[in-house]
Amino acid sequence: MGLKKLIKTATFYEIIQGMSVTGGYFLKDKVTVEYPKEKIAPHPRFRGMHALITDPVTGRLNCCACRLCETICPSQCITIESSESPDGDKSIDVFDIDLARCIFCGFCEEICPCAAIVMTSVYELATYDKNDFFLDKEKLVANQVNAHKELNRR
Amino acid sequence: MGGAPTNGHAHGAEAVHRPTLEELKERKIRTRQRVHEGQETITVSMGPQHPSMHGVYQAVVDLDGEIIVRTRPGIGNLHRGVEKLAEQMTYHQFIPVTDRLDYVASFAMNHGYCEAVEKLMGVEVPRRARYIRTIAHELVRLANHILWLGVHIMDFGAQTFFLICFRDREYILDLFEMVCGARLTHSYARIGGVSKDLPEGWVGRCRSVVEFLPKRFDEYERLITANRIFNKRARNIGIFTSEDCNAWRITGPTLRSTGIARDLRKDEPYAAYDEVDFEVAVEYNSDVYDRFLVRMKEMRESCKIIRQCLDNLPDGPYLAHDAAHVLPLKKNVLRDSAAMIQDFMHVLRGPQVPKGEVYRAIEVPKGEMGVYIVSDGGPIPQRLHLSTPSFYHGQAVPPMFEGEMLADSVGIFGSIDVVLGDCDR
Repeated sequence: MGLKKLIKTATFYEIIQGMSVTGGYFLKDKVTVEYPKEKIAPHPRFRGMHALITDPVTGRLNCCACRLCETICPSQCITIESSESPDGDKSIDVFDIDLARCIFCGFCEEICPCAAIVMTSVYELATYDKNDFFLDKEKLVANQVNAHKELNRR
Repeated sequence: MGGAPTNGHAHGAEAVHRPTLEELKERKIRTRQRVHEGQETITVSMGPQHPSMHGVYQAVVDLDGEIIVRTRPGIGNLHRGVEKLAEQMTYHQFIPVTDRLDYVASFAMNHGYCEAVEKLMGVEVPRRARYIRTIAHELVRLANHILWLGVHIMDFGAQTFFLICFRDREYILDLFEMVCGARLTHSYARIGGVSKDLPEGWVGRCRSVVEFLPKRFDEYERLITANRIFNKRARNIGIFTSEDCNAWRITGPTLRSTGIARDLRKDEPYAAYDEVDFEVAVEYNSDVYDRFLVRMKEMRESCKIIRQCLDNLPDGPYLAHDAAHVLPLKKNVLRDSAAMIQDFMHVLRGPQVPKGEVYRAIEVPKGEMGVYIVSDGGPIPQRLHLSTPSFYHGQAVPPMFEGEMLADSVGIFGSIDVVLGDCDR
């Protein structure tokens, strides 16, 4: 044992062994992607920027202004204001999400009884202007093109 | 507890020298004797912005030459008042906040919290959900230990290894992104189960990852275990005996490196841990090197647990059917009016919680995490206290540093795996 250990120490056995691992990576394929040029598509359940879904037939918002998402939101980043027309139709006047407050927990999507609010796979949210974090109804509706088809199922 | 290590575990073919407690103490005293009393000391502040310190931990050390005489720890730079926040949120709403405790192993924190709430409410978790939780918990343990390993070896000066570890951690984060939609802040556990069922193809992908990771661990071992620089630097520093560990409430791998096989997964099984076969990783030298060995063993055991769970994964619901305490399934909410009413009741009024107090501790990657809830019957907890491992580990730093070299201090601090989000809360 002693001699074996001595030889191993003298020949830098474990250093060579370690360097062979590191050196082996010269010959292997790279695992990285060059980010701005190539992008990895997130998985369908990814919790990114929100979107409001409209009915494809009538073009109206699915949202029924029940305010469950506003209530459940742990960071209180959703603001909803609605009004009712004389014939009983509710319409959404204000639907704002403050992305700077949002913690992307996905509770709003999970709780929504009309499948109106969903989270999309948009993840590049960095911006030079703080006001861009403020999503109003128009922006949220416009983002529904990025919503995944499989959504609204748990 | 304490005393000479008694829990014998198989250590491969060759006999392992198990130092007695006296030997360990002697070794520790020998390092501490380097302290010269009465000498003039200089004070150095390490952290919270020191590049080699982990997180925003501050250690103000008094130095005699290169030897640390005294340490004053400074925590609280990441304090967010999580326990107070819990008093303003329903039980369900608090789940994403638990993500932010130990952000390296978010799911473990979700799991611990949900176990406590389930104990309070008396919710029976379906078998499939328990299996999924076990798999997710072990995945998060792998992710945590891999990250710890990369950073810890970097403390001792190896740069490449950090990148190798981060590459392998990526496979696990991808699995989490696939199953719950987030890579770090999972929010995956729910009261009564998990939020989403495993997606198609996930089981196969997870199996390939746990088949392939042990090969990577062999690679790590080739790089690190015998490396003379790491051996010279990590052996016999930061000795913390089993007695010290009990005195300072140290748990997790640090405790298991002192020869005590304390692991809540074995001692008080939760989720599906009583149905899987695994060994508790134990080492005996109580130093930084043995903490590394314990974590290496634990990672292999984690792979073993996940493999068993995937093989025996039962069918059935992934969320308990319990209208009073558990959120309804989304697909039912969209179709069924009763489920929709349940949905509304849960959000607007909160779950129906009995009065009482409950404490539940589970084994998270860093140690024992306990949740203590006092309920007055309302939808929000009256008081919620969290006992997180990093807090106890962080306060044991002064006795651990005493008499050690300044250059070793970062390695010692890294070896106990403190995450400041977990510590400061």
